[in-house]
Amino acid sequence: MHGSKPGMPATNDQSEAGEVFLELTKSICPTCRRTIDAELAARDNRVFMRKRCAEHGDFESLVYGDARRYLEIQRYNKPGDRPLELQTEVSEGCPRDCGICPEHKQHTCLGIIEVNTACNLDCPICFAESGTGAAHNGDGGFSLDLDQVERMLDAFVAAEGEPESIQFSGGEPSIHREILPMLSAAKERGIKLVMLNTNGIRLARDAGFAPALAEIGVHVYLQFDGFSDATHIAIRGRRLQEEKRRALDACAQAGVGVSLAAAVERGVNESEVGEIVRFGVEHPAVTGVFFQPVTHSGRFLDFDPLERLTNVEVIRALATQLPEWFREDDFVPVPCCSPTCRSATYALYDGDDLIPLPRLVDVDDYLDYVTNRAVPDLEVKEALEGLFSASAAGGTERTGERLECVACGVGLPSELQEVAAKGFMIVVQDFQDPYTLDVRKLMKCCVSEIVPDGRLIPFCAYNSVGYREQVRESLSGAGANGDAAGNGSNRSTTRAAEAG
Amino acid sequence: MESISLDALLGDGDLASDDVKACCAAIYESEPVAWLLGGQLHPGGEALTRRTAQLAAIGAGDRVLDVASGHGGTARLLARELGAKVVGLELGAGAVAGARAATAEAGLSNAVEFVEGDAEALPFEAGEFDAIVCECSLCTFPEKVTAANELARVLSGGGRVAIADVTAEPERLPAPLRAAAARVACVADALPADGYARLLEDAGLEVTMRESHDHALAAMVDRVEARLRLARMLRTPQTAPYRTQIEPAIELARLARRAIEDGVLGYSVIVARASG
Repeated sequence: MHGSKPGMPATNDQSEAGEVFLELTKSICPTCRRTIDAELAARDNRVFMRKRCAEHGDFESLVYGDARRYLEIQRYNKPGDRPLELQTEVSEGCPRDCGICPEHKQHTCLGIIEVNTACNLDCPICFAESGTGAAHNGDGGFSLDLDQVERMLDAFVAAEGEPESIQFSGGEPSIHREILPMLSAAKERGIKLVMLNTNGIRLARDAGFAPALAEIGVHVYLQFDGFSDATHIAIRGRRLQEEKRRALDACAQAGVGVSLAAAVERGVNESEVGEIVRFGVEHPAVTGVFFQPVTHSGRFLDFDPLERLTNVEVIRALATQLPEWFREDDFVPVPCCSPTCRSATYALYDGDDLIPLPRLVDVDDYLDYVTNRAVPDLEVKEALEGLFSASAAGGTERTGERLECVACGVGLPSELQEVAAKGFMIVVQDFQDPYTLDVRKLMKCCVSEIVPDGRLIPFCAYNSVGYREQVRESLSGAGANGDAAGNGSNRSTTRAAEAG
Repeated sequence: MESISLDALLGDGDLASDDVKACCAAIYESEPVAWLLGGQLHPGGEALTRRTAQLAAIGAGDRVLDVASGHGGTARLLARELGAKVVGLELGAGAVAGARAATAEAGLSNAVEFVEGDAEALPFEAGEFDAIVCECSLCTFPEKVTAANELARVLSGGGRVAIADVTAEPERLPAPLRAAAARVACVADALPADGYARLLEDAGLEVTMRESHDHALAAMVDRVEARLRLARMLRTPQTAPYRTQIEPAIELARLARRAIEDGVLGYSVIVARASG
């Protein structure tokens, strides 16, 4: 996994022929987390990040599986919108001043609140390093109270005006005693899409839970990694197929929309991605699937940074496993963040055939921000920007309206506009980790962790740079009663320390 | 003009050459076909039209002929964005009327006019045009040598002609794509890129540039295929008459897609220049 030993001269015997240097950026050392330079280079039509820590040596990691596409889709890089309020000042430079600092290029499309560190599972893969033991419930962990969460929601509203979407996460948020009032508090603040990120165990076991979510108007983001025992054991440590089935049926019965969220790891479950989509389009509760190549932060399995999964490999697996439905170019780079971070598609499905939306509308005519031509139809462009955004989920009212607008704009008959409005969303999102972190992408990140002191910390910085550990430490044990919330006094001191 | 159903696209009758031209022109006016093409009447859409115009070095004040101008989108683009004086030639009367109306509405009537006529007997004087664009239409002309000679005749000294067209290696095309039914969809009567270049050179022009745009054709075939599948999803009385034709049409589109991937079918822009 690691390259040469500390202090060794950089190796020159490795031929660099056939490698194209693309750009210089900043990253962090995966071992000590200090900020270091990083080079991106194309080799064998793939993009790699190479970096060197003076103390911990060379690191190289795959960041995008298709160099040609990596370069081509930069035109999808939508100019960012600044948030209404900033929380920090620039002092040490990206990624040490989160957030959001004045150098950040984008507002927050999706806010995340982790309400606890406790969980009812101990998954071998967990970037949040949550679990069942005392370390996550007692002194080592935290559990926010409703008051804290309300102040965090207020900070989010202050920064965004009318926030698009929020996800409650953890830990396992469904086991928090106050989760329902927390979800209601988000709804009451006018946040359009309120999601609960859950493993589904409470949905499966507590018959009252799904109806309660339905009443508040919550969309469920359900961990769903596949079907085989091997997948469940490897990623979750337990067979959960029956719980997932019951959770989904409870949601269907209560009328709660569900996005399936699959953590995908090479050699574990990438062979199941097609089957997950096939299952999803058939299940009455499921309105979309999010595929996330595993973030190698927190707890993760042994992996090879040079052969890790990126969006490209997941999309390729979908196209290979469902050739009658998908091709690689059916997945559109999402323009609100860096275009290589997230790709998405919508699919019209009538119970028999499935047609990806980009086959019906030339998305490139609308979402090309570099050549910047006059677009055919501004309403369609706006609808597409809303659909291809980190704030979107399948099956919601807004998504339906936007799909209908696009369907109408490209001249589909009204009957098909109705089919289109129910479009099934598929997202592939490669979150960055300490191996792949690129500040150039991070500076446009639009997924933020909202933390109790009111900062909005870009998700990939939160998981990679050290913010997660700091926040957990400041909230855990004796300090876990929200002293830090709201007053802002510790903003300058809670920057990620240079570890190591 | 009477709207033509998918029958015309999918029927297996053998069409005489005049019928083919008329049928082609009429088909592109018909509602189902316009719908299948999703508003983009030639591969690459406006982006490729701009590229084609750039390769033909079309600039302000140039007199430009747009052969098979359809509803006039390209003609208007050349006038609006490049300041050219454009004449659109079109065989279909309905299309000419539609093009004139759309052009008047766009306020471009002083820069763009439309003439009803046949590309194989151009109703223009020799040397009338500085540039000619011919998008996705030469492949459908049965008398290509005549058409190429006509293009060369009306071009001024130093004038440029840009052909953007479907390329094919006919002997390697699968049989269904070679059939007459496919001809109206611009496939079976197409030439290899070399063939178009030779046509232009035989007409006395010098070929200066060739550019492959196979991807644009693939995107168009995909769009048609997707819309045929949408039509199949649509179970309304209006679609009932087409239902039996949709499956073979989808099959045809898939054959075309495979042929593009195999390099048997493609799309190219070829530019040639008149001496002088």
